[in-house]
Amino acid sequence: MAQYLTRNALDPAQRELQTALRAGAYLGFKQALSLPPQEVVAEIDASGLRGRGGAGFPTGRKWSFIHAKEGQTVYLLCNADESEPGTFKDHYLIERDPHLVLEGVAIGAYAIGAHRAYIYMRGEYASLAETLAAALREAMAADIIGPNCMNSGYDLRITIQLGAGAYICGEETGLIQSLEGRRAYPRVRPPFPAVHGFLQEPTVVNNVETLACAARIMAEGAEAFKDHGTGRSAGTKLISVSGAVERPGVYEVELGYPLMEFLQGEAGGIRGGRGLKAIIPGGTSVPVLTAEEAAPLTIDYESMQSAGTMLGSGGMIVFGDDTSMPQALLRIAEFYAHESCGECTPCREGTGWMAWVLRRLLAGEGRPGDLGLLLRVGDNIEGRTICGLGDASVQPVRSFIRKFRPEFEALLPEPVQAVAWQSHGHGPRTGRFGPPAEEATRSEAVDGPPTAAL
Amino acid sequence: MLSKDALREIEAARAEEDSPRHALLTALRVTQGERRQVGPEEITYIADLLGLSPALVQGVARFYDQISATPTGQHVLSLCRGISCYLCGADEVAAAVGELLGIRPGETTADGRFTLRLVECVGDCDRAPAAMVDDRFVGPVAAVAIDNLTKM
Ligand SMILES: Cc1cc2nc3c(=O)[nH]c(=O)nc-3n(C[C@H](O)[C@H](O)[C@H](O)COP(=O)(O)O)c2cc1C
Ligand code: SF4
Ligand code: FES
Repeated sequence: MAQYLTRNALDPAQRELQTALRAGAYLGFKQALSLPPQEVVAEIDASGLRGRGGAGFPTGRKWSFIHAKEGQTVYLLCNADESEPGTFKDHYLIERDPHLVLEGVAIGAYAIGAHRAYIYMRGEYASLAETLAAALREAMAADIIGPNCMNSGYDLRITIQLGAGAYICGEETGLIQSLEGRRAYPRVRPPFPAVHGFLQEPTVVNNVETLACAARIMAEGAEAFKDHGTGRSAGTKLISVSGAVERPGVYEVELGYPLMEFLQGEAGGIRGGRGLKAIIPGGTSVPVLTAEEAAPLTIDYESMQSAGTMLGSGGMIVFGDDTSMPQALLRIAEFYAHESCGECTPCREGTGWMAWVLRRLLAGEGRPGDLGLLLRVGDNIEGRTICGLGDASVQPVRSFIRKFRPEFEALLPEPVQAVAWQSHGHGPRTGRFGPPAEEATRSEAVDGPPTAAL
Repeated sequence: MLSKDALREIEAARAEEDSPRHALLTALRVTQGERRQVGPEEITYIADLLGLSPALVQGVARFYDQISATPTGQHVLSLCRGISCYLCGADEVAAAVGELLGIRPGETTADGRFTLRLVECVGDCDRAPAAMVDDRFVGPVAAVAIDNLTKM
């Protein structure tokens, strides 16, 4: 287990400023303040740090996109919405080392020329928001963060904002919309947030873990960061592992760490000594791996990509050999059907349909063409939506069906039974498309079923 | 309608930015916390307070799962139905809890103390099956423990 980001996380007193300071907190911020902002950006760029929120975009590059004009207010938004199923690493960081998170936010803000920063946390993290707010009060009382940060003349105000329960608020433009007091309907890009972000001002959105890494990098240098990890995957990664393992939890690993070693070592092996059936390596939005595919992989961006999946958020979900993959997929599909914001048709309708077809398959009411139908619905969502949730919803459906096809085929009716399938009252009524009522998306809740007019 | 503390919190959010809309999310949260619902009356009240149209406030309110249109019980018991918790027996626990409380998800106990909710991943998957009582993480849960919890 690596000890770069989390080296102080096991000390409960680390939440208190004095303890954190003794462990080196805010030295990175101090170092940053002694440099012009461009040099901070350059240092982060040199470290090779990539976004830890899911997409893996190079952080230094993202920061360099900010070119504020006279009179503009630049914003740094720290994304602590963490709602990707199977992901709870930011939860761990905020709970155990809130000053590291605040330091990262301060450094990010300074680097992009922002004097305003928000930390947007999912509503369910209200108790963590208190931990973070207490740390912020201490840092402000000590003049580390405030109108004159550490006597440098740099002025920074950090505000913690809680959400109210919606996965889409983790998507960067959904987050911005939510923070503005709107429904969290993601925005069409371009323009990108770097140009028109929060309140139309230049904005950077970064994940909690990304900013925490930035704090360490400024304290210890880009080279020390690159001593960890491999090639294009520099540094360490927090992996939150859950599901059918003996020791679920958050572990920091060197990027490039062998996946099976992690599974057998840190995660304690499969629960109850069972066999491994499958792994989702980076939250439900990335394709699943069979045990065979997973065996030779290492935990880093390139290795995951070579296997057709992604490291994503590092939310690793492990399936034992007693799992019904269609049942598991239904659970995941229902998540996307519930969380689709309803702004664009392919995602709003498609996520509902995928869940509904899976449900009828599992209820023994499937039709012979249902697997093809599921894949086709996915094809019609992918690449046709405003934000990444649409594409994300397709990945599990497609990969589960392709890789565990016999389990799905076993649910298909004999041709004779198929003819006998009748609508049980939840199906699409004649002349009307769209998922049944229980798949209501957020837009239906207000505007009435989007399909009612058809 | 709201306490002084609540109004102060909303005022603080309003002071953050020039846009009056910006305080809406906080206003909804605070109102839900005190009134246990954001129904028509609360919507009108918030709209007046922030100088926004009631339709706009309602549109935003109904977007969020934690803002409820009808009153919840004194406490909200949220059981995670997410994939990791599912793999750790969440469905069995949920069924047992429902039976213990004598209600289905979405319903409130007759004494008005608990509203039961099934929710998506709450970001506490290493304590699966995860559950929350209001803002507190209480997982991993066994039905028995929940029974004790609700008797407290
Ligand atoms: C549907 C959806 C949900 C997302 N949820 C989160 C989230 O909860 N936390 C997060 O950091 N990024 C999330 N992202 C990614 C953000 O859009 C954004 O890329 C990220 O916050 C950028 O930070 P990074 O560059 O530091 O990784 C989500 C993306 C999508 C499409
Ligand atoms: S893809 Fe889905 S979640 Fe994203 S904007 Fe469209 S409807 Fe909303
Ligand atoms: S799946 Fe239940 S807390 Fe994440």
